[in-house]
Amino acid sequence: MTATTAEDGFTATLYRGRWVFLRFAAYLGAMAGIAAMAKFGVGAYEENAFLYQILSMKGLIWGGTGALAGCGLAIVGSVMKPTLPDAKMARNFAPWLDGFLLMVILASVWALFEPAADQISYENQSNLFSGRVIMAMNVIFIFSAVSYIAYLFAPESFIGRIATWSAYAGIYLGGSALLLRWHESYLFDMEIGHAPVSNLYEVFILLCCITAAVYLALEKRYQAKAMGAFVMTLVSAAVFFDVWLASVGQGDIKPLVPALQSYWMKIHVPMNFVGYGSFAVACGAGMAYLFRHRLEAKGGTSKMLKIFPSLDQLDQLAYKAVAIGFPAFTLATILGAAWAAEAWGGYWSWDPKETWALIVWMIYGAYLHARVSHGWHGKALAWWAVAGFLVTVFCFLGVNMYLSGLHSYGRLS
Amino acid sequence: MPRMQTFPDLLKTLWQRVGSMSLAIILLVVLSIASVIGTVLLQNQAQADYLQQFGPLWYWVFRSLGLFDMYHTWWFISMLGFLMVSLTSCLWRNIPKMLKEMRTRKVPVSDKALKRFQHLHEWHLPAGVGVEALQEAFRQRLDGWEFKASEQGGNHYLRADKGRWNKWGYILVHAAILVILVGGWIGSEYGFRGNMAVPEGASENEIDFLQGTETGHLTMPFYVRCNSFTIDFFPTGAPKEFRSNLTIIDHGKEVLTSDIIVNEPLYYKGVRIYQASFGDGGSDVTLKLYHLDGTGAITTAKTQVYETWTDKKSGVSLTLTDFKPYNVENMADPGQPKDFKDLGPAVIYEMRGPGMNPVKIKAFMNPFIGPDGDNRGSFLMVSSTGDKADYKALSLGIDLTNPNEWRLFHAFMKHLGEAHKRTQDSARAAFQAAMYDVFGRDKAKWPKNFQAMAMRTLQAVRVLPSLQWPMLPMLVDYKQHYYTGLQLAQDPGMNIVWLGSAMLVFGLCIMFYMPHRKLWLVIRPAQGRMHISLAGMVNRNHLVFTKYFHDVFTKLDQDFGEIKS
Repeated sequence: MTATTAEDGFTATLYRGRWVFLRFAAYLGAMAGIAAMAKFGVGAYEENAFLYQILSMKGLIWGGTGALAGCGLAIVGSVMKPTLPDAKMARNFAPWLDGFLLMVILASVWALFEPAADQISYENQSNLFSGRVIMAMNVIFIFSAVSYIAYLFAPESFIGRIATWSAYAGIYLGGSALLLRWHESYLFDMEIGHAPVSNLYEVFILLCCITAAVYLALEKRYQAKAMGAFVMTLVSAAVFFDVWLASVGQGDIKPLVPALQSYWMKIHVPMNFVGYGSFAVACGAGMAYLFRHRLEAKGGTSKMLKIFPSLDQLDQLAYKAVAIGFPAFTLATILGAAWAAEAWGGYWSWDPKETWALIVWMIYGAYLHARVSHGWHGKALAWWAVAGFLVTVFCFLGVNMYLSGLHSYGRLS
Repeated sequence: MPRMQTFPDLLKTLWQRVGSMSLAIILLVVLSIASVIGTVLLQNQAQADYLQQFGPLWYWVFRSLGLFDMYHTWWFISMLGFLMVSLTSCLWRNIPKMLKEMRTRKVPVSDKALKRFQHLHEWHLPAGVGVEALQEAFRQRLDGWEFKASEQGGNHYLRADKGRWNKWGYILVHAAILVILVGGWIGSEYGFRGNMAVPEGASENEIDFLQGTETGHLTMPFYVRCNSFTIDFFPTGAPKEFRSNLTIIDHGKEVLTSDIIVNEPLYYKGVRIYQASFGDGGSDVTLKLYHLDGTGAITTAKTQVYETWTDKKSGVSLTLTDFKPYNVENMADPGQPKDFKDLGPAVIYEMRGPGMNPVKIKAFMNPFIGPDGDNRGSFLMVSSTGDKADYKALSLGIDLTNPNEWRLFHAFMKHLGEAHKRTQDSARAAFQAAMYDVFGRDKAKWPKNFQAMAMRTLQAVRVLPSLQWPMLPMLVDYKQHYYTGLQLAQDPGMNIVWLGSAMLVFGLCIMFYMPHRKLWLVIRPAQGRMHISLAGMVNRNHLVFTKYFHDVFTKLDQDFGEIKS
């Protein structure tokens, strides 16, 4: 595992020094501008028009002003402290935001392929273009998983590249499909429009994309390609679940129940899935660890071992994923509490979903403590990462399916 | 035999054990497992439901353990308390150490310790290379690091630190959990949260809340009046918005009038008022009573939901329990895709009377219209136990909204009774006679769909005479009044919880993303050569640091090469 530092040409310039810093500042500024529009703008935040508030002239002015202000601050900052543009944060986050921008552009392109207005009906949503993009995402993710598994048995670099690139493609398809769905929800009726994070079908697409993205970020930095077979298998399982959901009619766009009509939903839900996705990657790393451990125990000197990261590295990767997921999950839970305080009259009600979120949090908290204390070794922790993810799955799926409570709108009906 | 411990020693050991990492892990796991119980067992339901569900023995066991309100039992609270003690002990013991470690940076490293570093790189340069030049190259390569130099026994040590304050992350995170728990405790001790149902036009100042298994009451320092409650719908028929227009009345004065919806509460005098639910607030309903004594008499009853209306003559009483303007029901057969349909307004009442078993009835205003638009007559949902699951649909046959059908039914019954024998022919003749009675002899003036009417009347003949009730009360008119279900809450601990939450997130970021990295450049002149060691250490993120360390020594390799030549 060595560093990927050698990049060249245009992309290298794009991701180096002040350009990436300036871009990052502009993104942050634009986001702050949109947030300010929702809070202070004329007409402020409207649940059923937010997408078009962003995409309208008003959004352009608020967001654009924010971006310019961000750039200005960045320039002032870098004049005052010349080392500021070298900050790692900009280099780490800018590619994600670039990717998001690309998704927005892709979604705008997809929107051109939408059926004519008179052919769009709420009762039969099968002709919407997002359905096709999602189907493409499903196929690509499964293809990617197969390629990663093939790579384990035939470690040719081109197979590995195909696997990685198809995973990237899947993320862009899924992300842009979700954005497109947001737009489509307005096509039935402006009143129905809402952000595409409101039911199991939509959040599972989100989960697939975030899991793959967190994994690819780790793969890029640490060349842990062998882990992909495990993570992408988990993603494929989610894909199959989503296909099943669509087949039982859970994939349709439905109007938002009053409890969910809040800007908190747009922050709380995606943040939660950053947590869940990272825990899925940690689970993949844990499985890879156990797999390699077994191979080694058999005394194998197979080809497979050569491409596998070492046990120590896999252990570190699982930790790395938890280190991304744990703060995100903590923040998501706190955001959820803030929403609950605003909507239900109390930040904590011991509702099953809340309680299970706490359980997940405590389990990963215990994982982090166990790592620091001495008695625990790699194998036990790898099992812990796998078991922790099972609990996580129950938290975001089982609770909705089997337990009642305030989150029961996420239920299968 | 172990050495006897004195009591203070024992206390000290105990205090250390309480704050230990293994205990923290055990506590977290035990708390997780305990929390599961309360999510599987529905909390704070009616005691009768629990008794029915578990039987007397298990009900008694679960109740003694407090499992029906698990998160407020002494044992669960004490576990949280124990977590606080453990955290305090951990912080108490570690904060001074951590602060000291952060403040003082020991520069010299012994040769033995140097060998044990995980990250170590060595150079051997000829003597005469300037120490300052080497150290300067090291400083130049580490931008934004803190340096501290020292010389000992002819060796030159230069220590560099980045993220020296990382330990503050630990302190913040652990203190944050203490702060959150304290905030939660203050909230539960000095705050309140309860429900209030205010009918439209009425005002209320008392909230109800669950206290263990009992209901407690609390009087607010002001009245809340509900001016109106409205429901908005999506074009699909799903509810879009629940909106209450409220007026706060403080000491007899109207001080504030405002709308609230779900997600947008009202704030007054430290109390937040939330839109939580709604229900019937005593709607005015008009019932037509179709007497089943064979006379065909129809009388009218005007009453309200939650009232009991009594018929003086027959002694029949109707207790109205609810009214619903919409009744969306699944019309599909079990196993088929769901097909929701609004059956229109309905009133729910309990009917009691001499010589009959009490019965709970949901009476719909409109007749049931089949999938092909065919009228299938008026219908009821009947439950003999009053339980929702026991409701069974009862089709009455005739459409009672059409007075002619009620007359036709009675005429038919009369003519059927007159016939000597019950054959198909006599029934047909009886029906024809009944039609003549109701609609006249001119068949051209008969309603077009009289055949469907005949089918319905035949159905009614099968059903109505077998009913044991003296009358059929049907809904004919209503004026709806809602009540709005409000939740009122005050939580003085909330801001403390938010403070703790901010500390938690902030601390986690420091802890995970700003690891404390340490690098040493050790220069030891010996045997006419310079031994130079670069040693590195990090408390987290080993993968990144390995890369970074590799970067640094490759760059220093270049620099040292230039210095040498």
